[in-house]
Amino acid sequence: MLSVLSYGRLVARAVIGGLSQTDSRDYSLVTASCGFGKDFRKGIRKKGMCYGDDACFIARHRSADVLGVADGVGGWRDYGVDPSQFSGTLMKTCERLVKEGRFVPSSPVGVLTTSYYELLQNKVPLLGSSTACIVILDRQSHRLHTANLGDSGFLVVREGEVVHRSDEQQHYFNTPFQLSIAPPGAEGAVLSDSPDAADSSTFDVQLGDIILTATDGLFDNMPDYMILQELKKLKNTNYESIQQTARSIAEQAHVLAYDPNYMSPFAQFACDNGLNVRGGKPDDITVLLSIVAEYTD
Amino acid sequence: MLTILSMFYYICLRRRSRSGTRGEALTSRRAVESGQRAVLPVSVEVEQYAKEVLDFSSHYGSENSMSYTMWNLAGVPNVYPSSGDFTQTAVFRSYGRWWEQCASAPQAFRRTPKGFYSQDYIELGFEEPVYPTAVEVLETYYPGAIVQILACSHNPFSQNPPTDVRWEVLWAGDPTKVLTPQARQFSPNIKHISFPTNLLRLEVNSSLLDYYTELDAVILRGVKERPMLALYKMPIIDISDLSDSEEELSDVGGHLRADGKHHRTGNGYFDKLPYELIQLILSHLTLPDLCHLAQTCKLLHQHCCDPLQYTQLSLQPYWARLSDASLGHLQSRCTLLQRLNLSWTGSRGALTLSGFSGFMKACGLSLVCLELSCCHFLNEACLEVISQTCPVLQELNLSSCDRLHPQAFIHISKLSRLRRLVLYRTKIEQTAILSILTFCVELRHLNLGSCVRIEDYDVVASMLAARCRLLCSLDLWRCRNLTDRGLAELVSGCRMLEELDLGWCPTLQSSTGCFQHLARSLPRLQKLFLTANRTVCDSDIEELAANCPSLQHLDILGTRLVSAASLKKLLQSCPQIRLLDVSFCSQVDTRVVQELSGLFPNVAIKKSFTQ
Repeated sequence: MLSVLSYGRLVARAVIGGLSQTDSRDYSLVTASCGFGKDFRKGIRKKGMCYGDDACFIARHRSADVLGVADGVGGWRDYGVDPSQFSGTLMKTCERLVKEGRFVPSSPVGVLTTSYYELLQNKVPLLGSSTACIVILDRQSHRLHTANLGDSGFLVVREGEVVHRSDEQQHYFNTPFQLSIAPPGAEGAVLSDSPDAADSSTFDVQLGDIILTATDGLFDNMPDYMILQELKKLKNTNYESIQQTARSIAEQAHVLAYDPNYMSPFAQFACDNGLNVRGGKPDDITVLLSIVAEYTD
Repeated sequence: MLTILSMFYYICLRRRSRSGTRGEALTSRRAVESGQRAVLPVSVEVEQYAKEVLDFSSHYGSENSMSYTMWNLAGVPNVYPSSGDFTQTAVFRSYGRWWEQCASAPQAFRRTPKGFYSQDYIELGFEEPVYPTAVEVLETYYPGAIVQILACSHNPFSQNPPTDVRWEVLWAGDPTKVLTPQARQFSPNIKHISFPTNLLRLEVNSSLLDYYTELDAVILRGVKERPMLALYKMPIIDISDLSDSEEELSDVGGHLRADGKHHRTGNGYFDKLPYELIQLILSHLTLPDLCHLAQTCKLLHQHCCDPLQYTQLSLQPYWARLSDASLGHLQSRCTLLQRLNLSWTGSRGALTLSGFSGFMKACGLSLVCLELSCCHFLNEACLEVISQTCPVLQELNLSSCDRLHPQAFIHISKLSRLRRLVLYRTKIEQTAILSILTFCVELRHLNLGSCVRIEDYDVVASMLAARCRLLCSLDLWRCRNLTDRGLAELVSGCRMLEELDLGWCPTLQSSTGCFQHLARSLPRLQKLFLTANRTVCDSDIEELAANCPSLQHLDILGTRLVSAASLKKLLQSCPQIRLLDVSFCSQVDTRVVQELSGLFPNVAIKKSFTQ
């Protein structure tokens, strides 16, 4: 008799627990960054959140956690323009926008657009171009909003499998979509995509999801299975382990980039397009590794 | 003898030891007291950064931007302790004396009190009301502009409507100029006030500075509980504080002293002075003094209420105390009013439509100049009243009246004698401005800076060229979509143009030849701002050198295409040049600036820096 009652209570509790899916806790991203600039001569020094011509930012606001990476287009160097200035300023401006709350969590394209507009308001005449990828976690709704312009991107890994990834946007080989500010007169000759051309996506995330945001320096040198292998080693959600894993991924990619015999994804893609190449792709590498965890102050 | 001496000695010793013990007793008593006092809670000092920027008179940046705009003054500092010209700071629209020297500058008003230097202001709200003990302003570029700090008794974040709003001056000083443009923390000694405040106002004057001043943050330190008077020095009663009383402007009903019944009818030798001489003497008094003087005797009352003393009236220095009642009392004297300055007045319910319209109906008949900058009490009805009561109005300044509804501006087109119109940072729209330009053909000076609601500036330029051929100065700062077509029409039609501000207009391209056409069309050009137009090139500078000998102010900030050689040519051909801003021009480095400054010592060559 009693066991029937207690059994019934257990069943009822399970059913009710199953019905109420809504999790009212706020989520947040615990993020660590790591990267390597391409140029050995400068040393592998980190200038704030800049790695070579790449730049990134991590910012928090009341309602959202925001990350971004930008890959400065190196071709500007030939014209006397420092490519890291554009990407670095773009990311710093995005960070400032987020910190001041001048954004809507559901519109990462809006962050890019406003940030690009702010670059034009600078007295300093900025020149250059870069790709950009912005990831926003809305703490309350548990939705991840992303925008990607160019060949940087992100992966979402759940239980050892990639459940979401961004698509590369390229005009043609090695020419990704890019935000740019051209010198006057050269507007026709310089590729300049509008922030509206960015790919956006939105999806739900769960506790324990791993989000890897990186520039093409990572994805061109490390195939998915290697990345997943490294991510398997991530056991807890504390900052130190995430930092360690991010570092190991970046280091591995950096080593592979300079291996002349390794069949990197970049080399594979080139071969598929008729170019007979082999080896890694030396490039700036930026990795932002985040885990969705519960929000703590 | 010895016994007397020893007695004396004994008494002295006893006295010393007794005072010693008394002293000990005192200290022990003090210790007991302090021990007791230590139990009471000590007043904690609260330090806050500004929570929100509530109001300001101007800024350099664009509306909706966070670069060089006033909203940067809220929150924690972004730049300090670095120095330099950074986007994350709050920058005002102008600096130095350059704008005063232009033809478009308004004439100064008489009777400006000596201590009033303010040209711009910004109001900041803080989270918690405190009794302020210190105010620190972090200035990061060309400091020295702050001239007044005021505190308000009203809490701007409360839902209640403002009642009994009092402003108290915490500190006032002269405009200064610091020798180096480096960052500094400005923390003057402030007066202690009797009410808690979370609304501060900074007033600035940049006329002595060599470049734009930039502010990063403001810190308000204060205590929550009212401090004991014993802990602070009693405020020194200043004679000038007497003018802080709220009565003198409203209490000028002019009632006579009880001596009116006195048998003596004359004023002594004073009566022998000619009327005009007394009027001349009184013309040097400031307005509060004039009102005080009116209360002394019948003769002076008659003089002080003579409308001839009130042909020019500037109430801007008294913005904190002006109310409907004050206007009502001044009404009867202002029937011959020609120039009226109500800038900055009337906020938070101090002035209303009824008070304003009553005053304008009484005094608008001969009004020629009306300054209403930052008058947030204005609404459409007020502008309608102005258009009805001021038939001969020639100058109207509505700068930064950003709460005025776009519909209100239609009424300005009825003022057909307008010569000077300032609409900086207002919400005027396309139809209203076109209507104004259709009817106000006498316009000499027009300011449409930061008018973001105007959709097509080419059409506006075209209308100007067609209707306002006497146009002498035009400010199109940050007009988003003026193209070379509009500019070409403008310079073809308005040949008398002396000043043209095209700063931050991104759609003008030098490759279309528009700047060269401009130089050839405007021989009288004195001021040209092409700030942040990245396309300005050597040919443009050479055309200016060849065609504009009267050029005095030129700003070509941020272009990479202008070389030192063409600048040298310009400075040689235009001997009147006094201001040349080549900040962020990559071909013009400090060495070039030094060389040019040496060759042309009369020219102030500005080169801003970011570190």
